[in-house]
Amino acid sequence: MGGKKILEIDGLYPIVTQLVFISCLLAFCGVPVIALVMARARRMESSAVALLLVGLLLGLGVGLRAFRGGGLVLLDFSSSITPFAFTLALDRLGAFFLVLICGVTIPVALFSVTYLDRHYDAPRRAWIWGLFSLFILSMILVVVAATAFAFLVAWELMTLFSAGLILIEGSSKERLHNLFIYLLMMHAGAAAVAASFFLFSPFSPDLGFANIRLASSLLTPGVRAAIFLVAFVGFGTKAGIIPFHLWLPRAHPIAPTPVSALMSGVMLKTAVYGFVRFSFDFLAGGPRWGGYLILFVGALSGVLGVLYAIGEQDLKRLLAYSSVENIGIIFMGLGSALIFTANQAQTWAVLALAAALFHTFNHALFKSLLFLGSGAIADATHSLDLEELGGLLNRMPVSGAAFLVGCASIVGLPLFNGFVSEWVTLQSFLAGSTLAGDYPRMILPLMAGALALIGGLGAACFIRVYGVAFLGRPRSAAAGAAQEAPPAMQWGMWLLATPCVVLGIAPGLMLNPLTVLSQSLIPGATFPEMITSLPVILVWTALAVLVTICLVAIVRVRRRVTPTWACGLPGLTERMQYTSTAFSKPVRFVFSVVYKPDRRLEILPNSDTYFPTAISYSSVRTTSYERYLYRPITDAVIGLANQLRRIQSGNIQVYLLYIFLALILLLTVVGIYR
Amino acid sequence: MSLLLPIFQALLMLAGAPLVGGVVSATKARLQRRRGASVFRSYADLWKLFRKEDLTPPTASPLFALAPLIVFTVIVVSSLLLPVLTEGSLLGGRGDFILLISLLALARFFLVLGGMDGGGAFGGMGGSREVLISALAEVPFMLSLISVSILAQSSRLSGIVHWTLSQNIFDVSAVHILAFSAMAMVAIAETGRMPVDNPTTHLELTMIHEAMVLEYSGPSLAFLEWASALKLNVVLSLLVAVFLPWGMATAWTPPALAIAVLAYAGKILVLAVTLAVVESGVAKMRMYAVPDFLGIATATSILAVVFTALGRR
Repeated sequence: MGGKKILEIDGLYPIVTQLVFISCLLAFCGVPVIALVMARARRMESSAVALLLVGLLLGLGVGLRAFRGGGLVLLDFSSSITPFAFTLALDRLGAFFLVLICGVTIPVALFSVTYLDRHYDAPRRAWIWGLFSLFILSMILVVVAATAFAFLVAWELMTLFSAGLILIEGSSKERLHNLFIYLLMMHAGAAAVAASFFLFSPFSPDLGFANIRLASSLLTPGVRAAIFLVAFVGFGTKAGIIPFHLWLPRAHPIAPTPVSALMSGVMLKTAVYGFVRFSFDFLAGGPRWGGYLILFVGALSGVLGVLYAIGEQDLKRLLAYSSVENIGIIFMGLGSALIFTANQAQTWAVLALAAALFHTFNHALFKSLLFLGSGAIADATHSLDLEELGGLLNRMPVSGAAFLVGCASIVGLPLFNGFVSEWVTLQSFLAGSTLAGDYPRMILPLMAGALALIGGLGAACFIRVYGVAFLGRPRSAAAGAAQEAPPAMQWGMWLLATPCVVLGIAPGLMLNPLTVLSQSLIPGATFPEMITSLPVILVWTALAVLVTICLVAIVRVRRRVTPTWACGLPGLTERMQYTSTAFSKPVRFVFSVVYKPDRRLEILPNSDTYFPTAISYSSVRTTSYERYLYRPITDAVIGLANQLRRIQSGNIQVYLLYIFLALILLLTVVGIYR
Repeated sequence: MSLLLPIFQALLMLAGAPLVGGVVSATKARLQRRRGASVFRSYADLWKLFRKEDLTPPTASPLFALAPLIVFTVIVVSSLLLPVLTEGSLLGGRGDFILLISLLALARFFLVLGGMDGGGAFGGMGGSREVLISALAEVPFMLSLISVSILAQSSRLSGIVHWTLSQNIFDVSAVHILAFSAMAMVAIAETGRMPVDNPTTHLELTMIHEAMVLEYSGPSLAFLEWASALKLNVVLSLLVAVFLPWGMATAWTPPALAIAVLAYAGKILVLAVTLAVVESGVAKMRMYAVPDFLGIATATSILAVVFTALGRR
């Protein structure tokens, strides 16, 4: 193995790989040029999409190769493009995320070909394809950046391009407000990320990743803890961890559907990448309490995220909240890995980290699938309100089946991929009982209970989505007239659904290389042998299910269609079905502490309570985060700005005085520090 | 032999499942001073249903017909995970109890979806209650099994059974008591027995499980009824295997196996009669009292896990 590696690095392969990688990046740059230059031409779209797909396939190829341990890439643009160090390097961790980005984007792009065609006019399509490609490029740059400068540039571009894509969809006042919140929180997060890089600078000659790695052993414990915390806040904001999730349910639903799929499925994962890069690669574990912090915040995000998802009516907002939940599960895995690292149980840490990364990959697959499914629903019925859907499985059998796979996967049901990653995470929690201290022995196994609760509530959430949207009777005329999605959209969905099932039965395909990757991130770890033995039972279970269902299906059944039971009364209508609100009521009632509904009941006329002419009832879930966490911050900022207005006289001499004073102050500071 | 015995054990559970239900209802009848039906009536019911035709609602999708088959299949497969007569089972490995819990969830997923496909009010009603109760029951289910698995230092059911068999039957730890009480409460909720759900109710508004299968008839209903009987058997057998495995065959000899079969039948009989006594003694809870009931189970199971960390045994 070792000999082969040296050969590859010295031989021809790296040059080929680097060329392929460069052409992949160039392809993404080429798409907007084609799209905008040839906006009028008829063939603009096909050539732009073809180029985009070529870039994605090249990226996927390079990524898969590097992920398996061969063909690492190093590109140095430092002198040629910028005065700052701008280096790109593809290591195993970056390669995994490169595979994730390209692998998930291919089906999304396929889906978009027809979807965009049906929903947008030609000039807007040109813009969407151009920004789409740049958005992907920026995400790829994030995961291959090897200097702080390159990382921060790509990180910022990622926010801006996605904001551009949101803006194309429309610019009503409410959308602009939501977009503003998105940009504001992203920049606050980016500031934290930048700060966590700059905290390294006293210990490191430059902010290249290699030097940062070396510097981490020189850090004082205080600085180390500060970097860990600031990085967690920065990346947590991007990941949408509670309480920094405020932007997520606002920004994801207002983007064009394929972009929502990428934002939720892929963009959030770059934050996971950043956090893993910082906490495992740079800091090699972080402070002792760090793992507990991540674990608790992850559990909180998981439980609250799924509860908020259950309370949502709009399919895309619901999926956005469910992303908060899944990011929570991923961070629970990361937290457990950090706790094991801090307790010198490296092998278990490898297991937990591999589980978290596997869930990252799985979530990218099924969340993109569900967003594409919601796009197919919106395409067929022009609505994403669950109360206006129903009976779609009869009308859209192919998309409906793909959506069912997505629901089963996200709930974590066995034989689907979501189960495996949650299962391995649970195994790592269970292993907490082997540690020495009382706290980890108690806390880690208890977290299995939190994960079980998330799983159970997730089932409630997605049974509701599927049962209300796809089963029963149509709840509106539009749902009754729905048509199956066009072939390209079906292909896009099934390209994502198939790996969900394959990885659910044979998870070793992804889990084994991920374990090797995790092992490389955690020094002194041995390969956890159980990772190869775990999936065996799944294959046998799948086989047993197959055999049994074949035996069961032998039973001959005569069928006859009869009306649904309506207590013997005639005239059952679609209004008599359980609505999505009614379905979630028991959960919302039991967890009413979390929802804090704002209920308003108005009876008209007021004078006559017993014979009203009109009754209106509204129940709105208040967002306590805005009221109790963000409102004080914005109030303070605005208050400070008002105070600062006092020194603004508008007189030029006064401003010159300010400049002079600032200069003297700075010189004094410099003088003191010299 | 090593393959035959687990298959025999799975068939035993499958075939014996309706009998367990029959024993429960016969005991209840006796406690109510009725003569009651034969303990074998469930078999006659299943036979009758299998020969009837299937009635399908006009709006049903293909999932409606598929759901009973999937539910039945998944419950059968989950029974293959359990050690019943010996420590071994057909399917087994690390973390198999987590797989068992999740397989039950998979069956429930399709059961609720099948119920919602009927297009009436009751399927969704039953389903919405079922998902709440099961979500809350999942926590104590997971935690109580985890606490026992920590004691046994094994994450596979056969390992837990092996460890428990080697322990002194009278030397019971606090963890076992706590985990058992939590699991017993979970068992009631999971299998839809009193006081959480009333399996014999005839009033749609109070139904949970029965509301979900209200639209099913003929062979589909037979599969669902059989699956629900088997699920009761699976959960009871899980209690037996984890907490009372004594009597299981440790050697592959005919006398040991005969004793194992008798011991297993005896333990399930005792649990079934206990269940009947409990069901006759309590009234069904209000729907929103169930979370409190499961909250007690959760607290108990949390204590069980905490005790494994604090206690050194």
